[in-house]
Amino acid sequence: MNEILKLQNVTYIYGRGTPFEKVALDNVSVSFERGKITGLIGHTGSGKSTLVNLLNGLYKPTEGRVLLDGADIWENPKEIYKVRYRVGLVMQYPEYQLFDETVRDDIGFAPRNLGLSEREVAERVEEAAAFVGITEEMLNKSPFDLSGGQKRRAAIAGIVAMRPDVLVLDEPAAGLDPKGRREILGGLTEYVKERNSSVILVSHSMEDMAHYCDNVVVMNNSKIYGVGTVEEIFSESEKLSEVGLDSPAVSKIAAELIRRGIPLEGELYTVGGVRDALLRYMRGGAL
Amino acid sequence: MNDSIIRVENLTFVYDDGEASLTNTEENRGVKDISLDIKRGEYVAVLGHNGSGKSTLAKLLNMILTPTSGKIYIDGVDITAEDFSEDGIYDVRRKVGMVFQNPDNQLVATVVEEDVAFGPENLGLPREEIRRRVNSALSKVGMTSYVRHAPHKLSGGQKQRVAIAGIIAMKPEVIIFDESTAMLDPLGRRDVIGIMEQLNREEGITVINITHYMDEAARADRVVVINDGTVVMDGKTRDIFSKVDTLHSIGLEAPQGNELLWELNNAGVHIEGEGLTSEECVETLYNFLQGKTSRK
Amino acid sequence: MISDITLGQFFPGYSVLHKLDPRTKLILSVIAIVAIFFANSAITFIIFTLGAVLLIAVSRISFSVIVKGIKPILFILLFTAILNVFMTGGEGEPLVDFWIFRIYTEGIVRAVFMALRVMLLIVVTSMLLTYTTSPIALTDGLESLLSPLKKIGVPVHTFAMMMSIALRFIPTLVEETDKIMNAQKSRGADFSSGGLVKRAKALIPILIPLIVSSFKRAEELATAMECRCYRGDVGRTKLVKLEYKGRDLLWILLVALVAGAVITLSVLPYNPESYGVLYDILFYKI
Repeated sequence: MNEILKLQNVTYIYGRGTPFEKVALDNVSVSFERGKITGLIGHTGSGKSTLVNLLNGLYKPTEGRVLLDGADIWENPKEIYKVRYRVGLVMQYPEYQLFDETVRDDIGFAPRNLGLSEREVAERVEEAAAFVGITEEMLNKSPFDLSGGQKRRAAIAGIVAMRPDVLVLDEPAAGLDPKGRREILGGLTEYVKERNSSVILVSHSMEDMAHYCDNVVVMNNSKIYGVGTVEEIFSESEKLSEVGLDSPAVSKIAAELIRRGIPLEGELYTVGGVRDALLRYMRGGAL
Repeated sequence: MNDSIIRVENLTFVYDDGEASLTNTEENRGVKDISLDIKRGEYVAVLGHNGSGKSTLAKLLNMILTPTSGKIYIDGVDITAEDFSEDGIYDVRRKVGMVFQNPDNQLVATVVEEDVAFGPENLGLPREEIRRRVNSALSKVGMTSYVRHAPHKLSGGQKQRVAIAGIIAMKPEVIIFDESTAMLDPLGRRDVIGIMEQLNREEGITVINITHYMDEAARADRVVVINDGTVVMDGKTRDIFSKVDTLHSIGLEAPQGNELLWELNNAGVHIEGEGLTSEECVETLYNFLQGKTSRK
Repeated sequence: MISDITLGQFFPGYSVLHKLDPRTKLILSVIAIVAIFFANSAITFIIFTLGAVLLIAVSRISFSVIVKGIKPILFILLFTAILNVFMTGGEGEPLVDFWIFRIYTEGIVRAVFMALRVMLLIVVTSMLLTYTTSPIALTDGLESLLSPLKKIGVPVHTFAMMMSIALRFIPTLVEETDKIMNAQKSRGADFSSGGLVKRAKALIPILIPLIVSSFKRAEELATAMECRCYRGDVGRTKLVKLEYKGRDLLWILLVALVAGAVITLSVLPYNPESYGVLYDILFYKI
């Protein structure tokens, strides 16, 4: 198996022993593979934020283990910060983490914490900036002079500069317009290919999931509700709607056409996929 | 009879350099020569990408910003006139309510009901009237059971509903939602959009939803597309979203049904019909395919 | 942990104390504070303690909460009490005379009184104010009590508004600090090791984002308030109007009675020769 990060029977309980005790994650086992983008979907309160915080050791499992390359990340709790370099976490609205004088210094914050030489830091900064489309000119600016979309990209570069083996992004495109979304999400596929790393993408947008992910993990009620390829997950829109989640509009259109007796086949969850399926059907069957 | 509630003529606003403050960089895009006429009771979406000037327009409409040039008429009154009075400003703000993006940054009080009362208190209404309005506003947004709650313990969607109640309690004629769903999860978004539509249909309030989510814009009766500070498209929602090329050229998208028909069109399959909603798209495609097979 | 400190926290409830007008509670607190500083003999402290027990009983706040509230200051209390025991000189024979230490009866009595005084002060003010009064009511009460100062140009309303907004945003900022800390930890920031200078420096990546976002919040909040027709207290009415009720008068009378008793007894001269041991114990003064 090509798995890099794995949760083994993980349970997480908030505020243990207080009246506010709440089970946020209930005996969850799931693994993430190298070279794949995995989508993580579920309602607010389904446990997915907790799961994200467990992946890089911000939270410690109440029970169970988190394995990175087969080793328990909590083996040596004092060295948990080392795990955070290997599992890069881009939190929601990451632009609030910007603080340094220039964008260059800000992106260099994590590499410097890693104890790299100034030359290596500079190299990492250039690389990460190029990756998210931050120009040389922007690097010399104060992060607070960037536009919203640019700030978001600079903040992501701040994590990418650690060259993490696993990159976790919590709603990286929240609040951005379609162009901004494409700029940020478009780079992920490349990232995965170039590094053979693993990307975990948390998003509410089923369209983005369908477009960018290979696999999908669905969470509900502190448990894993379903795991599968994008096609497997989105072809069962009834199962998704049972837990209050939608599938992309276009896959619903395809499903309804199939129900009415038009046999469509292929990637029925993106606009391009359904278009191709319709074209194939028209050329083969109807015309 | 003139039933336009907001009329804007050749409105231009240029930000001074001084206003490019630490906290205000992104929306520092002005507006250029905008003319618009919004009718009483309309449900309008203003669509545009980040920094297109759409939020600036909103702030001009209720006098948070003063236009560089051009005219604004609210309910027939020229609010850009030189002799427009100080008291008039508060009348405009009462008539044109605003709900902003970040639900946290618009709640003033530590208790829900006191927050909703904030607007009516500022209007100097008698206490019994404030009480009546608070209760009715909270019930309209479905937050009656949270009267005594602390806002910071609510979810994003609930906070936004409280913020809306705070505006409803001022009995506005128009409510402008300035990216009010951008920070919410799908459930919160659904609730807020539901309330928007209910206010429009049942209370007759003019709703202007400023957004960059095309699926939200698709629900409005009319869409105004703003790009680079000017109005580039303005018309019935259906007509706007059938012009997929134009939308793409300014970095926007259409609903997936429209996109699918457009893609098919590009591939040489010309299909006549609607694709705004998924149901319409299915209908259009199905009829088209039936036509093909029956002809054969 | 921050959340463990109960001192200064509000416990919602429906007791008589919760229902009292905040202004009444402010006035009562002032009376109580004056009285506790007069208290100087066993009898005065007994009367005062009985009063405090009555407050706790009617507030329906559990006793353990009150103990928890005192805990954080227990060490300081003990420390000053011990100092008092050793530092107070007295007449007659010392109780203990060892090396450089001399302990007199006066010292022990003084230490006990001092500790009692501080404890009662905290219990009574937190019972009357913080535990049973919501911050917003407290602010309203202060604004109303101080409103005569408006006549001489003190911006009482503005201060009250600032205070209530500060209270509103404290939880938001705590949450935000937590978020920023996690974000910087994810970039390898270390807040828990190194010397003082290193730790202080480690705070920069938290403080700057926090300040920037607070400015942004302030600006957005100001706009939102303007949009809701806020213009200071010009022509402003209030949803919750403070009104004195019968029970307010009753409580003021009751507390005034207790305080009056304490003050009267404390100023009465102590006459060591006249009435026997019980009298001596109760009325002995420091």
